[in-house]
Amino acid sequence: MSRGSSSRLPRKRPSGRKALLATLMLLVAVASAFPLVWMVLSSLKTPAESMQVPPVWIPHTPSLDAYEKVSGVVNVGRSMWNSLVIASITTAGILITSMMAGYAFAKYHFPAKSLLFSLLIATMFLPPIVTLIPLYRLVGSIGLNASLAGIIVPNLANAFGIFLMRQFISGVPDDLIDAARMDGASELLILFKIVAPSVAPAIAALALFAFVYHWNSYLWPLTVLQGNADAYPIVISLSRLLSYNRGAVNTGLVMAGATLAVLPPLILFVLLQRFFVDSIVGSAIKG
Amino acid sequence: MIQRYRASAGIMLTPAVTLIGIFILLPMMLTVWLSFQDWSTQTPFSSASFVGLDNFREIFGASSVGRDFKGALTNTAIYTALSVILILPLSVAFGLMVYQHDVAGGTALRTVLFSTYMVPMIAVALAWSKLYSPSEGPLNQMLGLIGIGPQPFLSSPRSALVSIVLLNVWQQVGYFTVLAIAGLTQIPGSLYEAAKLDGANRFEQFRFITLPLMRRTLLFSAVIAIINAVQVFEPVALITQGGPVGSTNVLTYHIRRVGIERAQGGLGSAMAVMLMLSLIVVVCALFALANRKDQE
Repeated sequence: MSRGSSSRLPRKRPSGRKALLATLMLLVAVASAFPLVWMVLSSLKTPAESMQVPPVWIPHTPSLDAYEKVSGVVNVGRSMWNSLVIASITTAGILITSMMAGYAFAKYHFPAKSLLFSLLIATMFLPPIVTLIPLYRLVGSIGLNASLAGIIVPNLANAFGIFLMRQFISGVPDDLIDAARMDGASELLILFKIVAPSVAPAIAALALFAFVYHWNSYLWPLTVLQGNADAYPIVISLSRLLSYNRGAVNTGLVMAGATLAVLPPLILFVLLQRFFVDSIVGSAIKG
Repeated sequence: MIQRYRASAGIMLTPAVTLIGIFILLPMMLTVWLSFQDWSTQTPFSSASFVGLDNFREIFGASSVGRDFKGALTNTAIYTALSVILILPLSVAFGLMVYQHDVAGGTALRTVLFSTYMVPMIAVALAWSKLYSPSEGPLNQMLGLIGIGPQPFLSSPRSALVSIVLLNVWQQVGYFTVLAIAGLTQIPGSLYEAAKLDGANRFEQFRFITLPLMRRTLLFSAVIAIINAVQVFEPVALITQGGPVGSTNVLTYHIRRVGIERAQGGLGSAMAVMLMLSLIVVVCALFALANRKDQE
């Protein structure tokens, strides 16, 4: 609340308030981390340990058996590959379309520019369910249902990406672009060789956002795939494990599956969280 | 020169505008059109026949279709209100914990809080349906330690919706905390210094500086929280399937069941239109309220 004040003002009763604050912060962190920590710990337990009463919180003999068992229930390799394909191609598409449109909105003048921009931005606030029914029919009528392409193609462009790219490309000096034009560079070349490198952090943030979002995405893949299990992303295949969630004996198996689903997005986040946080803050403040 | 850039603008915009046009704006218009049609989702759009306001009459009528829809609308309203009421104060409180400089560990706390936002809902569903388990679930065991009897959580119609809200708040509060921190960084530190010289205590500083200057951030957070809340689908689809006794049947889940699984495309579209209209009304009311406060 009071930035830096404690270092300047004499402290009369420093310990009580600080101790309370530190305790509160610790409580919040523990409450927030508990479900995931419990999930990982449970995935390392043996079935016998899972059933023990009173419960064992930390496994005495950690084992990876449960992870092996998951692949007996769910086609983990295939589903992970599907998720990777969906998330990577969608992300690449979003980056390209967002950079191009963001560049146009940031650096060109054309008729009805602000109208078009508002129309696109409005779609950002549209809950997906509002368009789900006709979209399902539309994608079916162009022959893309029950396939990975059906999951990917409708998501290759989105308003958030355009908005983010426009914000950051607006900050690139016009002189830089004009100089390249003098040298006879084409607009696409300017965008990808000159503008893109100077907004690299924003591109990284968008890439991570898009990747995690589409890795985790559930409603649209579930709807468009119509039960074609060969094309299931991991988040859908793992829903089979829910039927194993009665009784304690399979807790390890279920939590191993859950841990597998969490790992890729969480690893990306831990490695690159600065970009995530900065882009949320950027979109909130500048917006 | 200008002509050349106009052509370039066209090239740059074509991919995004075409995709968003075909896959978002066109379906949006189709939803509105279909809400006035009798149409099965299994058939081409051309087989739709105009029925005027019949779909709307039916979803607000006394039949089971109407009862289910009105139930889903109510559940979604309760879900949304509870989410916003919980998320906004928590995000500000957590934001203050991260942003203060008296106790170390703020950034670590932010990382922990935000990491849950990255977790796919299937993992949340798998873990939480176990945590909530009435007999062997860790939550009831911990409540037992402090002398509270076992709670039914997801298995009782009275507590299932609240249990889903809590699970979603746990997952999303980190995102809103980051938004709150963004708002806090916009408040000039000199205001607090001045207030302190005037003898304002911490509570008064919060009440008269932090809270008023956070209003725009809170408005933004509220709008996003509302839009997120009406979209809730996965925990319901994965854990409760709308039950017990329809207590967690929320709109997104219900619309998909009617419009896709039962292929009643006209009815489902009418429900989607009502969802959209309700959302617009609530968000506009929120902005109007905020503007009136601004003028005071």
